[in-house]
Amino acid sequence: MRIRPSIVKQLGRRASLVPAAVAVALVLASCGGSSVSGGGDDDGGGGDEGAALDPVKIGLLVPLSGVYAALGEDMQQGFQLYLDENDGKLGGAEVEVVEADEGESPGTGVPAATRLVTQDQVDAVAGIVSSAVALGVKDLFVESKVPLVVANAGANDVTAGGSPYIWRSSFTNGGVAAALGAYVAEQVGDGSVYLISADYAAGAESTGGFKETFEAAGGTIAGEAFTPFGTTTDWQPYLQGIRASGASAVYTFYAGAEAVGFTTQYNQFGLKGEIPLYAAGFLTEGGVLEASGEAALGIQNSLHYSDQIDSERNNAFVEAYVAAYDEVPTTYAVQAYDAAAALGLAIEAAGATDSESIAQGLSEVGEIDSPRGTFSFDENHDPVQPYYLREVQEVDGVLANVVLQELEQ
Amino acid sequence: MLDWFDAYTGTVLNGLALAAVLFVIAVGLSLVFGTMDVLNLAHGSVSLVGAYVGVAMVGDSASIAAFVAAVLVASAIGLVLGGVLAAMTAKVSGHLRQALLTLGVALIAGDVLAEVFGSDVKRVRAPEGLDGSTEVLGTPYPVYRLVMVGVGLAVAVLLYLVLERTRLGAIVRATVADRDMVEAVGIRTTLVLGGVFAGGAALAAAGGLLAAPVLGAQPGLDDTILLLALVVIVIGGLGSLRGALLGAVLVGQVQVLGVALLPELASFMLFGAMGLVLLLRPAGLLPAPGRRA
Amino acid sequence: MSADVQEVTAPLVGGSRRRPAWRLLAAGVVVVVLALLPLMLAAYPIGLMSRILAFALLVLSVDLLTGVTGLPTLGQVAYFGTGAYTAGLVGVHVTSNAPAQLVAGTLAAALVALVTGAVVVRTSGIVFLMVTLAVGELAHQAVDSLAFTGGTNGLVGIPPITLLPGGEPLLLSGFVYWWVLVVFLLGAAVAAVVVASPLGRSMRGVRDGETRLRALGQETYPVKLSAFVVAGALAGAAGTAWVAQARFISPGDLAFDVSAFALLAVVLGGAGSLWGPVLGAAVVIVARDELSSYVGGLGSMLLGAIFVVAVYLLPRGIAGVARVRRPAWTRSRGTA
Repeated sequence: MRIRPSIVKQLGRRASLVPAAVAVALVLASCGGSSVSGGGDDDGGGGDEGAALDPVKIGLLVPLSGVYAALGEDMQQGFQLYLDENDGKLGGAEVEVVEADEGESPGTGVPAATRLVTQDQVDAVAGIVSSAVALGVKDLFVESKVPLVVANAGANDVTAGGSPYIWRSSFTNGGVAAALGAYVAEQVGDGSVYLISADYAAGAESTGGFKETFEAAGGTIAGEAFTPFGTTTDWQPYLQGIRASGASAVYTFYAGAEAVGFTTQYNQFGLKGEIPLYAAGFLTEGGVLEASGEAALGIQNSLHYSDQIDSERNNAFVEAYVAAYDEVPTTYAVQAYDAAAALGLAIEAAGATDSESIAQGLSEVGEIDSPRGTFSFDENHDPVQPYYLREVQEVDGVLANVVLQELEQ
Repeated sequence: MLDWFDAYTGTVLNGLALAAVLFVIAVGLSLVFGTMDVLNLAHGSVSLVGAYVGVAMVGDSASIAAFVAAVLVASAIGLVLGGVLAAMTAKVSGHLRQALLTLGVALIAGDVLAEVFGSDVKRVRAPEGLDGSTEVLGTPYPVYRLVMVGVGLAVAVLLYLVLERTRLGAIVRATVADRDMVEAVGIRTTLVLGGVFAGGAALAAAGGLLAAPVLGAQPGLDDTILLLALVVIVIGGLGSLRGALLGAVLVGQVQVLGVALLPELASFMLFGAMGLVLLLRPAGLLPAPGRRA
Repeated sequence: MSADVQEVTAPLVGGSRRRPAWRLLAAGVVVVVLALLPLMLAAYPIGLMSRILAFALLVLSVDLLTGVTGLPTLGQVAYFGTGAYTAGLVGVHVTSNAPAQLVAGTLAAALVALVTGAVVVRTSGIVFLMVTLAVGELAHQAVDSLAFTGGTNGLVGIPPITLLPGGEPLLLSGFVYWWVLVVFLLGAAVAAVVVASPLGRSMRGVRDGETRLRALGQETYPVKLSAFVVAGALAGAAGTAWVAQARFISPGDLAFDVSAFALLAVVLGGAGSLWGPVLGAAVVIVARDELSSYVGGLGSMLLGAIFVVAVYLLPRGIAGVARVRRPAWTRSRGTA
């Protein structure tokens, strides 16, 4: 059926108004007061010292789309599990979770965080996978005086300045790597180690952290390489360089697709049997381990968690997680689970659910009993925690990170 | 001298392997542009669909036969997608509107694939028997990459024979050079063009699957592949088979050797090279005969 | 390529010698409404409007090149980024004075546009498109690798802007929005003046038939270069406005998809008409960023669907449709 041009023109004419109308409607729909009157921060929870706590509104800022969405899903699950285990409450207060999509980059993450704080007016926020996003939103939380518990982003600078509103339940890039330094120095003895990572802040901080403790323990560095971040698909030239350097071992940091590519090619180009590979645990965590397959077998790595940790607390946690989600928990899930725990303990300590009280409560939390062991916050509000030496092995037909020992720090 | 060869053989071979899949993927885009003057920004998405066919059918392990079957399935799906895209762009004139349309399709396809397959990076294993390593000039080298080079060459030879030696090929070449004349002679160019579009898309999907054991499959890969393919065909010259081949080899080597020789400038080399070529030779290095820039 | 740019261009009435009073009145009403928005909207929607206005100025710069001069571009992010990073670096290291950042950013962007444009505008059509793509990507890589721009993590710690030297920092989003609005209106005014000027006429001449223009004895290279520099300056101004409201800039803001969306916003809105692309910019931002959560995180799919539908229903873009209404005798002769 041929559509008459005039009808198309009429439709088109009206269609031209639609985007304008939609934009205006959306904008007016969120009409709710003026943006030029001072301070507008009105949060629901009052400072009740009485028995009944006001409900608390928590923003969960994790990637729901883009390359990190899988991590975001793990974090959602971890956070939710804690709530389910505690009757949907944090510190005895009813919880309303508001989710926002961090996306892949600050372009989406910063507006999402802004919406949580200014529009949804949450009492606290947990989450954030990307360090770039964390750095971009830091000022927002400090200036709006809303506590943020970072549940992944590892850039050292995120907690710099020690603001009472910025806390981290995950790790620092340098910390995970530093744990391996002394151990590897012992393993290679007189030999040297080659450092390779991606050319971005996380890569630099990780290799930097390793280098510090490794050299302090008497080790020598054979060489360093940084591959273009996000675009490298071919490691062969770098692997060639590693061979040529005469290193007796390699330390690496990669995450996501690059981790899969590097691990696979390390194997394919024949280095795996020859030169032992040590890594920050993200190289063999979660979906990345599955995708790398047997190429990852035998890689020794450090991380603050493994689902194979044999403790009562962890076994119970893993069982509950598997029952709820039909998959084994990753460190991302635990980090979010512990963020919820920290918030719960903070609310309990403060006896109130407004932002200021939660921030105060977080500083009184003390030790947290986590599936990873016990941890607490240091003066920068980063976790002081055990790091485990893990090795990829086949357990019951599935690849897993078996815990060999706890690393001395 | 021999030392240099030793060190860089692997690198050069990698460049050729990358070139092989880039050629297979990009040649369709180039021919579509040459024959129909259509800018198809959904080309990367078609490749990604091919890669995900690999995820679904091959996944963790497969025999050579199963892998080949997956390639055929991917090609068939690509053929259909190409036909659909050809129909959609048929009445849309002007590069900008085609860009709007095909990018819209690419955005939709990207989200659909992420919904269905998840946003994790997915691995496609090389077929059993081809997933080992072999010695090339003394260093271990993955067999599968040699296979990629072989397949790329085979496709190039096949396409050359079809285009140069068959009547169908002659019609396609004539359509690139002078579409109105072909129409005047009585040949339904819309069918020819639809066929080229579909064939190009089939190659793109097959190429995406072939590349999957190296590149994997994940959201965002469609953008990467699209950009690389665009660079290949623009450097090589739009509408020409030899141009796509030359472009692919150049891009492959720049990506790989550039990284090995000048690591600090690695990120700039590809687009710097493209910019340079375009400024010196706006029509590309080997444009199709009969085409203006 | 000029031929197909013409197809999507809403024909501008012969150099706008006639400017009906109603058009100026409509523009005035829109400006007043925009200015009053902070008194009606809460902080978050106003932040959204700031982002839309900053992006819209970038889109205007693309329109100036693509719609008015017939040079389709994927590289304006390079100048947007130059302006944004300059403003950010000035903010971190020198002063938080907004006009100073605006001037610094715009000048830096214009300079970079002059240097790159001198080489780039020698090409046209698809080649121009690809060369500008290369420029955009090179800029993206550059800010990603350099340490002083913060590398991959971007530039952080940009203080809130101040308007008067030594004045109070603007913390409320309503005030920041007013500054962004001022920058946008300035940029739009510059664009409108250029389009109505003899330069604008030459630019349209290049779009409609460059060879014809050269045959008439006019040098086209200076025209194209001037258009390129003006567009670059506008993109730089847009960058400073973006940084003023986001207080953060990272390489992701110069990625390929920003260029692509800016170009497509122009096509969606109606290349050449100036106000159409502004609406196109609003649609892109709202669909991609705001409506995403309403469709389960599938914002890209929604935007893609909008693009596909727009191609079939709005052949000349949003602005193009408005043209259809006017009776034939008011249209000047000779336009397509």
